[in-house]
Amino acid sequence: MLDAWRKLRDKGVIGVNERNLDFVALRNPRRLLNRVDDKVETKRLADLANIPNPELYGVVRDGRDARALPELLARPDGCVIKPARGSQGKGILVIDGPLQGGWRLANGRRVSGADVRHHVNNILSGMYSLGGQPDAALIEYRVKFDPVFGPICFKGVPDVRVIVLRGVPAFAMLRLPTAESDGKANLHRGGVGVGVDIVTGETRTGMQFDRPITLHPDTAEPLAGIAVPHWDDILTMAARAYDVTELGYLGVDIVLDEEKGPLLLELNARPGLSIQIANQLGMRAHLKSIAGLDLEVATAQMRVRLGKHTFEKSFGGDGAADNEPLTREPPAPKRPILDVVEGGLAGAAA
Amino acid sequence: MKSNAFHAIALAVFLIAIGASIFFVKTVRLDYPLQPGTKASVWTIEVFLDFMAKDEPARIDLFIPTADAARDVSGEEFYNGSFGLNLMNEPGAGNRKAVWSYRFPSNRKVLRYSAQTRGETASTPLPDWFAASAPRSTPFEADPVKRQAFIVWTASLRRRSADDATFADLMLREIFGGPADRGEDADEQAVLLKDLAPPLDRLELARETLAAQGLQARIANGVRLIEDIRRAETIHWLEYRVAGEDRRFFPGGAPARFLTIWRGVDGLVTANGVSELDLQIAISSQRSSAAALAQEAGARAEPLARLFSFGDLPLTTQLVYKTLVTIPVGITLLVFLRQFVGVQTLGTFMPVLIGIAFRETALLNGVILFTTLIAMGLAVRFYLERLQLLLVPRLAVVLIFIVIAMAGITILMTDNNQAIGLSISLFPMVIITMTIERMSILWEESSAGEAIKQGVGSLVVASLAYLAMSNAHVEYLMYNFPELLFLLMGTCVLMGRYTGLRLSEVWRFRQLARA
Repeated sequence: MLDAWRKLRDKGVIGVNERNLDFVALRNPRRLLNRVDDKVETKRLADLANIPNPELYGVVRDGRDARALPELLARPDGCVIKPARGSQGKGILVIDGPLQGGWRLANGRRVSGADVRHHVNNILSGMYSLGGQPDAALIEYRVKFDPVFGPICFKGVPDVRVIVLRGVPAFAMLRLPTAESDGKANLHRGGVGVGVDIVTGETRTGMQFDRPITLHPDTAEPLAGIAVPHWDDILTMAARAYDVTELGYLGVDIVLDEEKGPLLLELNARPGLSIQIANQLGMRAHLKSIAGLDLEVATAQMRVRLGKHTFEKSFGGDGAADNEPLTREPPAPKRPILDVVEGGLAGAAA
Repeated sequence: MKSNAFHAIALAVFLIAIGASIFFVKTVRLDYPLQPGTKASVWTIEVFLDFMAKDEPARIDLFIPTADAARDVSGEEFYNGSFGLNLMNEPGAGNRKAVWSYRFPSNRKVLRYSAQTRGETASTPLPDWFAASAPRSTPFEADPVKRQAFIVWTASLRRRSADDATFADLMLREIFGGPADRGEDADEQAVLLKDLAPPLDRLELARETLAAQGLQARIANGVRLIEDIRRAETIHWLEYRVAGEDRRFFPGGAPARFLTIWRGVDGLVTANGVSELDLQIAISSQRSSAAALAQEAGARAEPLARLFSFGDLPLTTQLVYKTLVTIPVGITLLVFLRQFVGVQTLGTFMPVLIGIAFRETALLNGVILFTTLIAMGLAVRFYLERLQLLLVPRLAVVLIFIVIAMAGITILMTDNNQAIGLSISLFPMVIITMTIERMSILWEESSAGEAIKQGVGSLVVASLAYLAMSNAHVEYLMYNFPELLFLLMGTCVLMGRYTGLRLSEVWRFRQLARA
């Protein structure tokens, strides 16, 4: 066990302790966390910056708002009910359309209007929110997912998780729902995570329940070698999410809509660590080299290119990133120049 | 980032250095023993009186122990508040009383008496006057029926016994035994024992029976000196002398060590002009070596020893701190298990709170009780889910159900003479309710396996925390060396800067290590 511990440390595999202390606590000031913990606020910020995201149909904040639920839910293409402060996909209800006076869920089950109201009441009383504080429920556009992942997608909506450090996309993973995860792209429940090459946007290796796999457990299709469409758009969106939240360590969840292209689904200030297994890579060394970059005036597009370049330097590759011009050479990582957010933090700590 | 880490480590080193150096000075320079003594010899008894004064002249009489050659009572202290104190001796009965009085008190008042004693054992001799024979008299002068029954019964006892000793044994067995022990005079005994509440009235009957035979006897009252206890109950027993031998008869079984507070059939406290009187007797022991050294060290290094000791606090407060100072040990253990091992628990400090609750129930009973209550509560919670109640009322329903279930278990277990029933009352039902809510959400949102995993994790951490906190050695060290709290604090600061992988993560990422 000690041997494994030492090997993992040398490989730069990060644990929860290190993530919380050296990344979350250091780069995500508590006062800014509301920007990602409250999905209504996230949407507002994304709209301001013109980052595409699923259209918000309505927000239910109290019992009076809840009376308008039948009208809010009556959408021909269905809709999604979410707790504004939920985490790990808890409390999400995907409604397919009306059915016999009630509603048909995406998994085929029928629920009555009273069931939906009870669920919304549970959301409002804080059953799914962090710390159980009173919450709001938001009703939004139901994503029509892009069939590009057809052969490796059993049912439900796949999404792309990008880890963004200081606005630089560092790691990416495609999350696929499985029969076992009940159509949710949630790794805790048995969803499949597939590592994605930051440079090429091609899938690499996969994992389920923290164990590496090469074939999709339901369709038995190989997971590797699939190009994620709109890859540069996805990375740029992820990079821009940093600009609106100012959170230095961010998990950005992006979903591919058939008509609208990539949409920002949600942001996470404490993204999970399974992405290391999905990519078969330890994160520390790469994150450290991004921490050493000079990003003072870099735009989102420049940070995407820097991210690709650094990824290639960290993990090698076919040199694709070299074909893209760098506006600025990354400086020698001897003396890191901290960006604005970090400067503020350091000042507060001193 | 670097400076934060440096700051934290500096603080940790500072705290650990403080704790360790005081500990070092106490153990090496002042010879504080590191092991709890094997035998308890000095007991502190403290009587608390708490009452509502009614704006009228108040007088509270409290029996207090007398000092005599056979046992010594020393270090008496009285807390009188605004009351006047008068100590009265009643040499005839061998009693001493503290009489507190005040003309017009109002509001809630507290009076306190405390003393140190070595206590008595069964071999402590009775006073000399027990050797003389008592004047014979026949009781129940006013009640011819009882008097007749008494005469028939004692005559029968005399006939069936060989001497005074066997007479006394037979008599006590027939008074305190069950119906099967009644012998041939069951009717007479029924007349005599009717309306006699055990144990005090029956002890009085026994005393009168012995007195009628010219044997010296008296009723004594006091407390057991067995363990540290915050609410001790008074016990009553009979002291008598037959065939030149001092004897004591304890109706509920003889304690190894006890303290006589008063003799006779009066109550311990007599209060006039007050209401809502609450009497609390607290007892604690000091290990002989620790007690001796505490005085010694007090003289040698007054400031240090006094600053880091609970010795000057009132006894009930001391007993509270005996428990309180062990909690950080449990917390530190929990931090270790979470940060280094990666055990998942329901709620942050919930396992330690459950562990504290186990103090009341002991480990096995506690685990059984906890598991039973959680299982029952989960069943109710899943049923309630179908009724679609709002969150807070639903929590309230579960909580009320838990109280009902606890009451049910208590009644059931008390009928079966299980101590578990009595100890349950302090089990933290709010914590249990929150645990049930957390578990049921986890159950639905993740999986039954995850919920049970975290539940078992909590139970394991709670058990370990309990074992650490209730360990006699740990309690002794923490109570006598409170400076170790700094050490624990420093350790927690250090653990707070650990960024390495947890044991559970080594397992989780084990495949990456192989690649």
